[in-house]
Amino acid sequence: MCDATDTPAMESQPQLQKERVVGAQNKLCVKCKAAKPSVSIRRSLYCRNCFVRSSVTKFRTALSKSRKRMPVTAARARVMVALSGGATSSAMLQLMADYQRMELKGYAAEHTYDSIVAGHVDESALFSGYDDAQICDIAAAVDVECRVARLEDVFELEGDRAALLELVHATIAPGTTRDQFCVQLTRGDESTPAREQLRALFAGLGSATDREDMLDIIKSFLLARLARQAQCELLLLGDSGTRIASKLVSLTSRGRGFSLPLEVGAETPFLGSNDVVAYRPMRDLIMKEIAFFNLWTGQSSVVVPTFTTGAPETASIDRLTEAFVVGLDRDFVSTVSTVCRTVQKLEQCPEALTAAKCILCSMPAELNAQAWRNRLTVNVAPNERPLEHVATPSADIQSPLSSFDVTARLCYSCQSLLHFAKPGVALPVFCLDNYREQATASPPSDADNDVDIDADSQQRRESLRQRIEEFFI
Amino acid sequence: MPRQCDICHEARAIVRRPKTAQSICKECFFYVFETEVHNTIVDSKLFKPGDRVGIGASGGKDSTVLAYVMKALNDRYNYGLDLYLLSVDEGIAGYRDDSLETVKRNKEQYGLPLLIVSYEQLYGWSMDSIVAAVGRKNNCTFCGVFRRQALDRGALMLDLDHIVTGHNADDVAETILMNIFRGDISRLDRCTEIATSGEGYVVRSKPFKYAYEKEIVMYAYLRRLDYFSTECTYSPNAYRGYAREFLKKLERVRPSAILDIIHSGEAMHVAKDVQLPSLDRCQRCGYISSNSVCKACVLLEGLERGIPKLGISRTKQD
Repeated sequence: MCDATDTPAMESQPQLQKERVVGAQNKLCVKCKAAKPSVSIRRSLYCRNCFVRSSVTKFRTALSKSRKRMPVTAARARVMVALSGGATSSAMLQLMADYQRMELKGYAAEHTYDSIVAGHVDESALFSGYDDAQICDIAAAVDVECRVARLEDVFELEGDRAALLELVHATIAPGTTRDQFCVQLTRGDESTPAREQLRALFAGLGSATDREDMLDIIKSFLLARLARQAQCELLLLGDSGTRIASKLVSLTSRGRGFSLPLEVGAETPFLGSNDVVAYRPMRDLIMKEIAFFNLWTGQSSVVVPTFTTGAPETASIDRLTEAFVVGLDRDFVSTVSTVCRTVQKLEQCPEALTAAKCILCSMPAELNAQAWRNRLTVNVAPNERPLEHVATPSADIQSPLSSFDVTARLCYSCQSLLHFAKPGVALPVFCLDNYREQATASPPSDADNDVDIDADSQQRRESLRQRIEEFFI
Repeated sequence: MPRQCDICHEARAIVRRPKTAQSICKECFFYVFETEVHNTIVDSKLFKPGDRVGIGASGGKDSTVLAYVMKALNDRYNYGLDLYLLSVDEGIAGYRDDSLETVKRNKEQYGLPLLIVSYEQLYGWSMDSIVAAVGRKNNCTFCGVFRRQALDRGALMLDLDHIVTGHNADDVAETILMNIFRGDISRLDRCTEIATSGEGYVVRSKPFKYAYEKEIVMYAYLRRLDYFSTECTYSPNAYRGYAREFLKKLERVRPSAILDIIHSGEAMHVAKDVQLPSLDRCQRCGYISSNSVCKACVLLEGLERGIPKLGISRTKQD
């Protein structure tokens, strides 16, 4: 190789640098087999036109598969397209508008959607450095109405029953035998603007991971509410294949296995309401495909920053996972598509189907989460009796200032989220609404405070045995 | 001012616990670690009195601590078990022969009977000779498949009811991640089970399923247990390395992530319409298999016939 007689190598070097894909000169597009390829996706070469066409086909195929698996009840449904302004959701809006127009021309025999509207959550209360108006322009460019909800809307108090749940005490841990999440009702302070309250909530959370988690929860809630207010039966979420793969791993890492199929699945019925169904039709497209699609169709998008934009990879779980999945996909080209296929094969476990909703994230809350944790994270010294369960008064939601335990109403992952939150943090209004809804359906009783009676009595028996062990022969 | 233990509030705290970040004293650490393993054993109803239990002993930290803790808990809580040490000699010079010396010392130290089975004895091939024949790729596949059968055969020789292995929380979390990355849905479904069902082979379980690797190291260190620690000579290129690297970084972001991954894995449920392999018997050796010929037989045939890729990569149809 490094032979002194090898002169031609020097001359051919500039040529090699120009070629982006090795051997592309000699190969043709895998689809039309006529044109020169312009892009390599998962080691297959495509020319520009075939690439754009195949992206459109992938979107439509995903949409029709979802339609078959989880059809919307209304005959002619209104569709809300969730638009964050990012590359994927902007592409999705274009594809959906195009699909809608195409169908109106009568090419497809299937029944059409009634109309589409874009739904956007304005995050400017937390992030700056971008122009929110540009996002509405993206919708305007395809003649689609854009409805906007602001993040701080979750702190808008309405009516006489206006109140918030404020965190009094949250502990997974040391010194107690069980987790306790105590909250109290407070009258909302109408003099403090909702924006300030929102910022106070995020400032009171323990880490970037917790903040990202809370942001996702609030955005999901707002999108579902926007869809309901616009009387849309269907909500399209712009999660690309890369995002779904990364989300699967990060949700697993946060302990959200119980609700996983709802949060990354192809179709999601929104819990507690049969009126909105969500699809993820961009799941077969990876980030690279979307980037090229946007480039070649002239689709504009806006970069909306988040808590960990520009931060090192260990800043949060989501950031680390994204960096890792993208890196792994570079070495093992089919990683993203393999992980997405795995997502399709998962479904909710039987307990999740009948579980109560978590009052924070509205996902199924597993029973016995704290009992599970307590058996595996022992906090009692050898010769000590476990501390008695601290009795809390049963919830009296009529009288403010009484604090009550909501541990049983929080899922495993939201317990971790609130564990490091500062006391005094006020939770969004929808938490109280969820609590009220559940409390009227199944009133809190002593049973709620003793989530796992068996684990408790076993623990007591164990400690008893320890005190008399030395007498065993 | 020296810090007091967060649990007993009496002795001076000397370690920060990896699982909970509590500052605790030595005795409390031993106690909580052992109690958690005891809770795991009791809640999963792993054993019954009179069981003959083999401890898979490699001489590494996990199995040494496992042997120590199993013996301690068996005595303290009267499980009524007959404990044995069961070791596998893969035939890796400079690695396995050294760790086996450790196991022999453990036998004396813990007073437990020991049986060693070797690949050479069972299959006629040692790992060194296998690697010489196939090269340094996919070595873990051979070793893993052969070891599993080797442990079962050793269990038959000792007439055991149960085998326990030192797989810890980090191992289980890595396996879950690895199966997600590779899309292995049938393994994903099974890998969080604490014990295998025992159909067709000896029941196998992992009492350390919820014990952090760092805590096992801490335990071994503080108890001054004798163990051998080096990387296997053939391991660097394994796919598991990616999952391990990710898990290490994740642990730095949030230490509870390891248990959280296991919690998620336990909740994962395969959709009804997905086909999972069914269990059958190998036509050649009778061992349990999901195909007509078990993987060990396929690999061995490849070695004997000089087709090292048999059973590893797919062959192209001409």
